[in-house]
Amino acid sequence: MSTITIEHVSKRYGDKLALDDVSLNVHSGELIALLGSSGCGKTTLLRAIAGLIDPSAGRILFDGRDVTAVPTRMRPIGMVFQSYSLFPNMTVRQNIAFPLKVRGQSTAAIARRVDELLALIGLGEWADRHPSQLSGGQQQRTALARALAPDPAVLLLDEPLSALDAVVRLHLRDEIRRIQQSIRTTALLVTHDQSEALAVADRVVVMRQGRIEQLATPASLYETPTTAFSASFIGNRNALNLPVRDGRIRLCGTIEIATALTTPRALVFVRSEDVRRSNDASGQAATIENRIFEGSTTRFYLTIPTDDGPLHVKADWPSRETDELRSGDTINVVIDPRDAHVFPG
Amino acid sequence: MVDLTRAQESPAFPAVARPTVAWGRPKPGFFGLLLLSVTVFYIFLPMIAVFLYGLATTWTNHVTPDGYTLAHWRDSLADGRFRVVLGRSLALAIGTAVLDLLLVTPAVYWQRVRNPRIRPVIEILAAIPFSVPYAVIAFGLLPLSGTYAPSLQGTLWLLLPAHAAVAFSFAYWAIDSSMAASNVVGLSEAARTCGANVATTLTRVILPNIMPGLASGAVLAFGVSFNEVALVQILCGNRFETVPLYTLNLLKSTDADFNSLAVMTGITFAITLVLSVLVVSLNKGRAAAGGTTDAKGAPA
Amino acid sequence: MSHHAQATGSGRYTAAARTLSIGERAKALFVDWSLALPLIVMASLLLIAPALSMVWSSFAGEDGHFTLANWAKTFSSAASQHAMENSLLLAATVATLSTLFGTPLSWMISRMARWSRSFHLGILNVAANFSGIGLGFAYVAALGTYGMVTLAFQNVGLGFTGLPQSSFTGLVLAYCYSNVPLFVLLSLPVMSLLRDEWWEAAQTSAATRWQFWRYIGAPVLMPFILADWLLIFTWSAGMYGLPVALVGEKPGAFRLVTVEMYRSLYGSFFGDHRMPVYAVLLMCLAAVSLLTNRWIMRRGTRWLT
Repeated sequence: MSTITIEHVSKRYGDKLALDDVSLNVHSGELIALLGSSGCGKTTLLRAIAGLIDPSAGRILFDGRDVTAVPTRMRPIGMVFQSYSLFPNMTVRQNIAFPLKVRGQSTAAIARRVDELLALIGLGEWADRHPSQLSGGQQQRTALARALAPDPAVLLLDEPLSALDAVVRLHLRDEIRRIQQSIRTTALLVTHDQSEALAVADRVVVMRQGRIEQLATPASLYETPTTAFSASFIGNRNALNLPVRDGRIRLCGTIEIATALTTPRALVFVRSEDVRRSNDASGQAATIENRIFEGSTTRFYLTIPTDDGPLHVKADWPSRETDELRSGDTINVVIDPRDAHVFPG
Repeated sequence: MVDLTRAQESPAFPAVARPTVAWGRPKPGFFGLLLLSVTVFYIFLPMIAVFLYGLATTWTNHVTPDGYTLAHWRDSLADGRFRVVLGRSLALAIGTAVLDLLLVTPAVYWQRVRNPRIRPVIEILAAIPFSVPYAVIAFGLLPLSGTYAPSLQGTLWLLLPAHAAVAFSFAYWAIDSSMAASNVVGLSEAARTCGANVATTLTRVILPNIMPGLASGAVLAFGVSFNEVALVQILCGNRFETVPLYTLNLLKSTDADFNSLAVMTGITFAITLVLSVLVVSLNKGRAAAGGTTDAKGAPA
Repeated sequence: MSHHAQATGSGRYTAAARTLSIGERAKALFVDWSLALPLIVMASLLLIAPALSMVWSSFAGEDGHFTLANWAKTFSSAASQHAMENSLLLAATVATLSTLFGTPLSWMISRMARWSRSFHLGILNVAANFSGIGLGFAYVAALGTYGMVTLAFQNVGLGFTGLPQSSFTGLVLAYCYSNVPLFVLLSLPVMSLLRDEWWEAAQTSAATRWQFWRYIGAPVLMPFILADWLLIFTWSAGMYGLPVALVGEKPGAFRLVTVEMYRSLYGSFFGDHRMPVYAVLLMCLAAVSLLTNRWIMRRGTRWLT
């Protein structure tokens, strides 16, 4: 385990800036998720930390030591690739042993360590299979064990779960968290899946266009996004573009938000579960346009008539409490202004 | 001719996401560049020699000819025998290419949309000219035609089908991979659901989509026929002199005229070059298509 | 895509055949094969029939009866033994050289940017196809007694009189001209089996470039390289135009199986009986090579799919 310091790192491909002056401190033993859509620079940052690409500018330090010019194979890292990248000619055991073998460890030490790791990932009985004989989840466990074998100070995970199907993905996600916590290694995980990032990370870095948009714990990121991009990326939010008049935004009917914004319009984000039904006549009348059953919750597409034209809002409510609602019904909804996040429009 | 279409295909892998950013490719090192330049030099050397011989007045004991002239080209191209030989070779090669397209295209189409059992049969047949020397095929055809079709012996009507037979495998791989790449089965089904009949489907949908494959198949078959000498020599001999046979005869004659030989070889080379450029450019943009079956199923 | 289509295609075919009368079944069978029939018939007549006829001739005596005499005479003749040994030795040398030079070339070209790859492929493609009589002459023009290279050497004062075109070394050099490029073209698809991510994964596992090739690159590529070696070996053993142009009828020249076959065209006193035996031997070589090639390919791709 070690700390990682990234100082003003940029990476340029032709005239495209893949990383734009990124600085970041990763504490020892912490798991940080790099979250963003494709092309945001998250994988580029991870590969720069691994030394697979050279930054155009800036420095990368492990425990205060500058490793920017250190070749990949001399860095104290283990890496899990999106497509596993298991060596096809080796068995599970040989794959896990490979980093130890090239480091010149003794056969006995290697065997001991490999058995330990096989137990950790629960692949003991598959140890002598080749990767092509394994399922995707088993392959990814093997890749994880291979990355962990030399007891790396830094564990790098590049979209480790994106090639797996939903059930395996959830299971392995929790297992990665369990293993990372049990060995307390510093880890960076690249993902485009917000729920994955929120579930496993100590802190989440939201990236966009080569820059860090927001760095926060999962809970504060979820509750208080600091930028419009974070707000739109995290959680199921309604993005409402509304006019600002005299320091107030009228959401609908009587629901108004006070704001210090001076722009003519504002982007108001309201999570879909924060649009609530009101049991009495208070609140706003809304028409149900459509309902989508999603298991424990049901999503409702609502239209609220306002003076500025109809407002389209989505709401997630528990399915058991909304059985009787049908498309075309009119109901009353309320939105607490404290649940709304306002950004310049 | 070697089929470049297969050389350019990368065998597909289980669908995994590939990085969208080009991470940069490893550059060849010093020894790599050395090997590459030596190879390119070695390939160009005989070609340069041929080219210079074609333009040389005399060439006795210097690195380059003593003087230059276009006379050999003028004389050769004016020579009756030379022109007949060249025209004959071109006609034979075009005939081979056309015959192969006519035979192979329907067979491949049928194998893909109707009866997959055709594939192993054709693949075995296609593997023969890749591995069995043409000379062996020619020597085998000689007594056979003598016994069953003596009237065909020594004529174009035996040579043309023989060339088509040895060249068909090249056309086959080109056309088959282009049909795989353009998903003719899906296209046929889509055309049928749109109400198109078989003829319309073929002419309006299938053929336009596999045109690059047809063209490169034809080019490959043309190249095989144009450069082939064993079948020509053994089946027809000097009754049907083609460019390679003419070159061989000149080379064997005691007073070999190097300059005239150089002109003929230069033309052969130029045609090979044009064909190669055609194949490479026809296959542009298809590098990623094709799929595993073609790469694995290929005999060579 | 095609697998799915094949499954439904054959399913429809068998289901239809089961419920139909014999006449209808024959008609269905005919339709299923119809468009491929011209090609299959023609290729069988012109490729398989000659092969079978060669096999028959190799066992037929002058009176047309079965005999092993042709085989016995061929194998007992010192000249024939020489020709066969020389052919195999030449083919093995050419295949080995092609592999040694072709593998790194192929690797480099597979990792080139698109235009640069097209450029090199174009050159190699020309060389691979320029393999017959034309190459024979071009070779003489470059390295023969009055060849350009020979003259160049003599000009700088080296007593080089040209490579004897019918010597072993001369033939190897000429054969390599088209076979090294051919090897590159054959092995190029295989090079993309070696994925860049494996090199990255090896690096993050602390492996050096040498360790990567030793433990991953070589084991993955080896079966395919062997398979391509075998194809070049077979191809070289059967090359006809080039050796005929370079060696021809020169008495006392290097003996090769294909050249002996060529000579049998013009002089029966060389022994017509040997020619079909040679042909069958080359066919057997081709068959063994092809089957081995398929087997190696299947084993090689087993890891990868």
